[in-house]
Amino acid sequence: MSAETVTAAGFPEAAVRARARHGAAAVFPPSGEYGTGLFGAGTPAGEGDRSDPLDALRPAPPVFMPRRLEKLIELGREPGHDDVDLRTGVGGFASALPLYLSAFGSTRAGSGDLAVAAARQAGRLGIPMVVGENTVPVHGYRSVLLARVGAYAETVGDATGGVVVQQSTEDADSEVWNLVYSDPAVRELRDSGRLGFELKTGQGAKPGLGGMTVVDPAEAERLTEAGLFTLATRLGGNGARLRCATPGTFTEEILRQQLRFMRNNFPLARIWVKFHPGRDIGTAAATAWAAGADAVTVDGAEGGTGWAPRVFLDGVGLPLADCLDRIDRNDRPAGTSLLASGRMWEGGRAVRALALGATAVGLGRAALLAVDEDPEHGLERLADALALELKLLLHALGQYRPSELTRADLWPPATGHGVPAAVAAGGGRP
Amino acid sequence: MEPAHAAAPTLPPLGDHLASPRLRSAMLVQQEALYAAREFLRGEGFTELLPPLIGPVTDPGGRGAKALDVDYYGQTYKLMTSAILYKQASLRGFPRLFYIAPNVRVEPPETAGTGRHLVEFHQIDVEIADATREEAQTVAAGLLTRVAEHVWTAVPEVLRELGRDEADFAELRSGKFDACTHEEAVARLAALGHAQSPHAEIDWEAERILSLDAGHPFFVNDYPKGSRGFYDREDPGRPGVLRNFDLIAHGGYGELVSGSEREADYATIVTRMRESGENPAKYAWYLDVARRGLSPSAGFGMGLQRLVRFLTGLDALWQVSAYPKLPGVITP
Repeated sequence: MSAETVTAAGFPEAAVRARARHGAAAVFPPSGEYGTGLFGAGTPAGEGDRSDPLDALRPAPPVFMPRRLEKLIELGREPGHDDVDLRTGVGGFASALPLYLSAFGSTRAGSGDLAVAAARQAGRLGIPMVVGENTVPVHGYRSVLLARVGAYAETVGDATGGVVVQQSTEDADSEVWNLVYSDPAVRELRDSGRLGFELKTGQGAKPGLGGMTVVDPAEAERLTEAGLFTLATRLGGNGARLRCATPGTFTEEILRQQLRFMRNNFPLARIWVKFHPGRDIGTAAATAWAAGADAVTVDGAEGGTGWAPRVFLDGVGLPLADCLDRIDRNDRPAGTSLLASGRMWEGGRAVRALALGATAVGLGRAALLAVDEDPEHGLERLADALALELKLLLHALGQYRPSELTRADLWPPATGHGVPAAVAAGGGRP
Repeated sequence: MEPAHAAAPTLPPLGDHLASPRLRSAMLVQQEALYAAREFLRGEGFTELLPPLIGPVTDPGGRGAKALDVDYYGQTYKLMTSAILYKQASLRGFPRLFYIAPNVRVEPPETAGTGRHLVEFHQIDVEIADATREEAQTVAAGLLTRVAEHVWTAVPEVLRELGRDEADFAELRSGKFDACTHEEAVARLAALGHAQSPHAEIDWEAERILSLDAGHPFFVNDYPKGSRGFYDREDPGRPGVLRNFDLIAHGGYGELVSGSEREADYATIVTRMRESGENPAKYAWYLDVARRGLSPSAGFGMGLQRLVRFLTGLDALWQVSAYPKLPGVITP
């Protein structure tokens, strides 16, 4: 077990670390309390933050379950939670779970050995992995990007998973996508249809802004000389500087054309787009799908692994639930995905996001904490726990594939756009 | 005529290649083609300039081709993938100009088998101030016709020894060129059983299919935005359609020329850079020229090795290059 080098204030860090250590066992109260402890609603062991609009929605199993009957007929016996099939198409890749490893960005916490450990485990899990922007201009291509892709490729099986590489405006100067696309080391992934590129237009932690990292004076000098990034604000007295990447300028036409360019230039790659939780997220997602995106990722205002101004963390951008509510299912063509990230770490929040229309959910901070807890198997155990919860919840709802979940599986049962008033007000129960 | 082949070839050792009679024949044809091209363009009032080899930026290109970086006194410079931006900048002093330009593009390895891609190649690069697409096409067609006429006059025995049939050039030499739109090409491909995206560049196999289906060269006009660089001008009357063209050779040899009217308006260029995912900041010198007024123009690049391969009828570009570098193949 490593020393704890990563912290995540405001995130259920202890619970994530417990899962990284104990896996599925952490889904339940301690087994030693079985037969003596009494459990029910309001038990402190319950997960989720009910003041969060997404966590305030309650998965609500019905009494009558026609899908369970279908499954009963298919199996010729009563179905159980192990009969839930979690395999899901995620942005053009086959994934063992409705999960993917989110991009970590170029912050120190997200671009070192932990990221390589997470890549290795994501490969073993058979879930797609996104590699963040700005890693190449900041850290170099071979040392960081290829280390992660290599670790993933070593462990992933032949039929599942995929690697998705982001490119920011500064990355475009480094031609990251061209480098990756023509790299012999990536060719097997590419030719087997398991390479993707993600156009990142923003992020949940600081909607409307680009990536930010803190660099020491020497690094600041190197980046300035190379003409990379804006380095303006001094942070404190030790000469550390804030490095700001540009978020890029987008209009509907710019987005549409950039996606067409990606499809034209990289015909073998899957094309993903990541949006910050903007108030026009519905239009943005529809535009991306219409231009041929295989996946649209929405990073809710709860998301983020990196460095962000407090004023943004505290209250800028739409919560994930509002984002998902503003995206019309009918805008999403068959075979494409809606991906959701933002405080994902356990099955309940994942089920809520899936029921609101997401195809899969991304693990960001939770994955970093898990590999920090155990670089060998922490992420796998965290995913095992999440998968067990998904199976239990889907089975309870009488659904046997993640794609069968709908808004009707949640309470309050509002339909259409707009989060129910009771939820928006922080309540949960009608 | 023999179509292009898809299998990736094995290159002979460079010494054997340089000593081969076939390469000698190809170089004789190339020499005559260059002679005729220069003679034709000078006769049309063009001035030949020698292009730059490196710069802070180059043509961003497409289809996964990458520019090579060089360290230039601590700055990252690019080897020219094409000198299009310099051509535009030169127009005020040289309203009709051309280069025989060396270019380097690190093409994706899978293009090694198309027979039509080399990492190092040359273009006959032409730009005309205040010209329309049609004027550029007239020059391109005249250039190709003159070159074909000249090689069949100067070295007919060399072409015949290589297996070329003069009759295959009769329609071209009589100046016969057709034209269709990208949209029509997509429809024709669909009828021939090839799925081609209406939003993308015509893929290599599709080009070959169209090329095999033709008896003389033809232009494909009006590529969709998103398939070409930011400098190709968008049709003001038809948003999303570019005032550009390719010239496709008949007989399976595919694209010989890409050309276009150019964007000259500063704000449009910046917006189009964003649409193609480019960072305008890195094009500072070019945008500075554009702010002060680029000349409207049209122009094209004719791939020299593709031209020679078409003339000689050889299977692959590496056979018509003295020092071939195939995509993804490490060679001297």
